[in-house]
Amino acid sequence: MKTDTIAAIATALGPSGVAIVRVSGPAAGGVLRALCGEASPEPRVASLLAIRHPRDGRLLDRGLVTRFVGPDSYTGEDVVEFSCHGGYLTPRLVLEACLAAGAREAQPGEFTRRAYLNGRLDLIQAEAVVDLVEGRSPRLRQAALHQLERGLSDRVADLRGRLVGLEARLVHHIDFPDEDDQPVPIEEIAAEAEAVAAALGALARTAPEGELLREGAVTVLAGVPNAGKSSLFNALLGVERAIVTEVPGTTRDALDAVVSLDGFPFRLVDTAGLRESDDPVERIGVEVAGRWLEAADVVLLCVPARRAPSDEERRFVAERAEVPVVLVRTQADLADGVAAGGEVPGAAASVTVSAVDGRGLDELRAALPRLVFAGLVEAGSDAPVLTRARQRAAVEAAREHVCAFARALAEGVPADLAATHLRPAESELEALLGTIDREEVLDRVFADFCVGK
Amino acid sequence: MIVVGGGHAGTEAAAAAARLGARTLLVTPDLERIGQMSCNPAIGGVAKGVVAREVDALGGVMGRATDAARIQFRMLNRSKGPAVWGPRAQCDRGLYPRAVRRVLDELPRLELFQEMVTDLMLEDGRVRGVRTRGGLAFEAAAVVVTAGTFLRGRLHVGGEAGVGAGRAGEAPSVELAEALAGLGLEVGRFKTGTPPRVDGRTVDFGRLERQDGDPEAYRFAAYAHEAIPEQRPCWITWAGEPLKRVVLDNLERSALYGGEISGRGPRYCPSIEDKVVRFPDTPRHQVFLEPEGLETSELYVNGLSTSLPAEVQVAFLRTIPGLEEARVTKLGYAIEYDYFPPHQLRHTLEVRGLRGLFFAGQINGTTGYEEAAGQGLVAGANAALQAQAREPWVLERDQAYIGVLIDDLVTRGVDEPYRLFTSRAEYRLLLRQDNAPARLGPLAREVGLLTPRQEERLEARLAEEDRVRAWFVETALKPETVRPLCERAGSSVPREPVRAVELLRRPGIAAGELGEAGGAPFARAGAGPHSGGAHDVLTTVEVEVKYEGYVAREHERARTVRHQAAFRLEEDLPYERFRTLSYEAREKLARVRPSSLAQAGRIPGVSPADLQNLMLEVRRLKKEGAAPRVSPPG
Ligand SMILES: Cc1cc2nc3c(=O)[nH]c(=O)nc-3n(C[C@H](O)[C@H](O)[C@H](O)COP(=O)(O)OP(=O)(O)OC[C@H]3O[C@@H](n4cnc5c(N)ncnc54)[C@H](O)[C@@H]3O)c2cc1C
Ligand SMILES: Nc1nc2c(ncn2[C@@H]2O[C@H](COP(=O)(O)OP(=O)(O)OP(=O)(O)O)[C@@H](O)[C@H]2O)c(=O)[nH]1
Ligand SMILES: [Mg+2]
Repeated sequence: MKTDTIAAIATALGPSGVAIVRVSGPAAGGVLRALCGEASPEPRVASLLAIRHPRDGRLLDRGLVTRFVGPDSYTGEDVVEFSCHGGYLTPRLVLEACLAAGAREAQPGEFTRRAYLNGRLDLIQAEAVVDLVEGRSPRLRQAALHQLERGLSDRVADLRGRLVGLEARLVHHIDFPDEDDQPVPIEEIAAEAEAVAAALGALARTAPEGELLREGAVTVLAGVPNAGKSSLFNALLGVERAIVTEVPGTTRDALDAVVSLDGFPFRLVDTAGLRESDDPVERIGVEVAGRWLEAADVVLLCVPARRAPSDEERRFVAERAEVPVVLVRTQADLADGVAAGGEVPGAAASVTVSAVDGRGLDELRAALPRLVFAGLVEAGSDAPVLTRARQRAAVEAAREHVCAFARALAEGVPADLAATHLRPAESELEALLGTIDREEVLDRVFADFCVGK
Repeated sequence: MIVVGGGHAGTEAAAAAARLGARTLLVTPDLERIGQMSCNPAIGGVAKGVVAREVDALGGVMGRATDAARIQFRMLNRSKGPAVWGPRAQCDRGLYPRAVRRVLDELPRLELFQEMVTDLMLEDGRVRGVRTRGGLAFEAAAVVVTAGTFLRGRLHVGGEAGVGAGRAGEAPSVELAEALAGLGLEVGRFKTGTPPRVDGRTVDFGRLERQDGDPEAYRFAAYAHEAIPEQRPCWITWAGEPLKRVVLDNLERSALYGGEISGRGPRYCPSIEDKVVRFPDTPRHQVFLEPEGLETSELYVNGLSTSLPAEVQVAFLRTIPGLEEARVTKLGYAIEYDYFPPHQLRHTLEVRGLRGLFFAGQINGTTGYEEAAGQGLVAGANAALQAQAREPWVLERDQAYIGVLIDDLVTRGVDEPYRLFTSRAEYRLLLRQDNAPARLGPLAREVGLLTPRQEERLEARLAEEDRVRAWFVETALKPETVRPLCERAGSSVPREPVRAVELLRRPGIAAGELGEAGGAPFARAGAGPHSGGAHDVLTTVEVEVKYEGYVAREHERARTVRHQAAFRLEEDLPYERFRTLSYEAREKLARVRPSSLAQAGRIPGVSPADLQNLMLEVRRLKKEGAAPRVSPPG
């Protein structure tokens, strides 16, 4: 069966010491010979070779060349990697030489796609590669690396295996009623189903935070004009991004920027001060702020430290029970201590800060991850995390099927009927991993039981 | 058309073709052995019992022969949900083939001829007929080969080199095997085994546990009423440590373990050698002693299939309680034989690339009478349809276990002798034994597989189902009438009259008892001419009502998959050019050439991602239409 050979520059273009041109496919060996002559290097050993254009033999570069023989390679195919000099020109020339030798330019992600199609990676791992390459926050990187190392895949595969095991035990007593083994007690089956459902539930609960790892937690700075929102925004970013003046209503359009706090990504949004205004531009700004507030994962309500929070500000907190609102007492350097009556019921935390002398900022930085990523902070960086809506949907659907199974058993539905809930649950997890194999149930039956005639 | 072989596949193939109106000739080396049971004289079991009923519902022979020959009946899995009940009948080894012969003789368009087929006649890549050992040539538009375990069969007892045989005491089919292999077909080799038989007069029944059959007059046949013979019990005993020791001490003398046999055997039907080696921790293995017939005292020792030498067989048998003095009448043996990996077939069981040639039964790598019969029926029907220039006829996975079986064979292939299990079916709730006539009868009628008499019986049966359903919906039962049965089921006694169908929804309340309590006409049918039918009808209604949600969900699932199945894949798709698919998927798809996306999804090695890409590729191809494509480099 023929497939074609792809090539691409695997490193970023621009001035750099080294760049890598990667070739994958059945003709990779041919490309190597066309560019570097007959001396085929040992697989997986970097060799310094002259790289020449296949047509006219002109020297393009001298570089380290490594050959991988499929299936022991990233893509599962024959792979050649040319480590040549970086910069704008050399890598391009080497790539063109590869194309001249019969390869075609790879599409984005095509190497990883081949790795998946050839069974080198499962679907979760393939997605993790994307996060690893594109993600900017350290914790996303950790989660992606963990997924790439099969952390999540193993957990999903393990849960699926337990479901297959359950099905096998039920099916065994359907298909071999006269056998030597005693029937499996229903209580045992039910207990295992509950345990699997609980584990699926725990996994699903990582999803909201896991998805935020990829997108960044939307953190909206809100408050009346001149409360010091833009100053705080700049202070947290460490850069003067937003315009700060003593004129109330300075900020009009929302500004956003991603900042990493304890490795977790936060998307800070500075908004227009909330007030009634006749200025059409400012009115639109307030509207925009309202929309951001609806999308917020956490809100920083800025209230100058020198005065007590107003009734309106208290109502603002009370109306937002479903998102954590942090009460930030700003401009603390100006105040003689914090004004009395600062307790606001419903606020998730209260921090006193100054954008001028920097007090309280570290406390705020520490508080945010604990508020938004509580589960992940608690679980540590080694626990599997769902980072995509696709993953969450599959795990939740699987959990629902398993719960339905357990419920049916509890209602006294015959086990063989109840078992009809297991297959859809397995299918969900299989789709999540990107593998499906029904024969496995039988394999399990034969491996685990003494089945006779 | 011609059928080669008179086993379970061959007889159903010939009968189906004849019922469809094709002039049919069945050629087999020994007409006295038509419908012979090579191994255990038992029909049915879990999943297999449903197949037997499906064959019957499609107008086949097996159900009638079983009713006419059964000497013990048990409904397996009765303690479990009705969806997985498995009717199983122990048969009289002599009565069964006689009944088969009798049913065949009723078919006017079917002729029988005793001869060994040695070769096929071919012309322009299609079959023209067969040649026999005696030098005769028979021409036909289509040929169904059902040669069972006979193709280059070799029989093994003990460690000595095997002898050529098709079954104990019968010659193997060597020329035909060679002729078929000569067509360029891929050939594989499988093995199977059979246990020894003992003389019942030498068995100490006092030490055995007696197992009587179920008392009810259950029937496999929906369209005919055979006289059921006198019933006999089976006996249960156990093989324990002493037997294991004898087997282990002699392991190297087994044909299986001495390396004499290379073919693969079924995991689920292991020899005693296999069981002892693979499950050293199982303290004892159940052994069933099953009568071989009414007029013989011979017993089949179910559970001890073996290829150990004679003296070892005798020695291990005598370690078993009740068999201390037993005399062996027939030795157990193993047999290995050629089969043709079934991925070379279409869903009609026609061999790809050889028009008019069909394979059915053990030749396709399956094991079991029922599996053979189901395939025979489908192959015979399609051979006849082809000869009559009519559309092919295929059963889907949500229609019948036979559909599951054939689809598994063709799309997945086999790597060990294939047997049906309920776990192979996605929709076991739909594929039940009780609803076989309603599920398949109308399909059979439509294609023309039923005789006029069978059609008449089918009508009656469907009308009866409607009547029973209507009774449950329309009949209100008074509290005092249902009090005892509600109390028995631990269910609250209603205060007002309540419709029977409502009570039937409650756990623990059966359709039959409601019918009896309410004096329903069908409750008295037990004495009537069609008690087996009434039994099924009640089960069908009960399942439909009690597990309505489950049944509906299965139907829904089947519909979704059908929807996917509706995405047709042409037979000549250029899979090798579908670059977005994995190599493995392309290779498998090109080999199997599935006819729908759903089928493609069941091929091992084809991932969901492949399926999605396949759909896109096919769409793109269609868009490009007939415009010539530039194929990619490399
Ligand atoms: C030793 C042994 C043990 C088995 N154990 C079991 C078991 O425990 N459970 C179970 O379910 N199944 C068992 N089987 C399998 C079961 O017998 C078969 O699966 C079933 O009989 C297959 O049906 P069939 O129609 O394909 O082939 P068969 O029943 O084998 O019939 C083949 C027919 O083809 C005829 N034939 C062969 N060659 C030619 C030729 N060249 N020309 C004309 N006619 C020909 C034969 O004479 C025979 O009539 C066993 C089989 C054997 C031999
Ligand atoms: N001393 C001191 N002044 C501050 C601090 N934070 C803000 N200010 C001053 O307060 C005024 C308003 O600050 P901004 O950050 O623009 O306030 P804002 O909430 O963004 O105002 P609008 O954009 O108008 O809604 C400016 O003059 C800032 O210099 C602080 O921590 N200490
Ligand atoms: Mg501002």
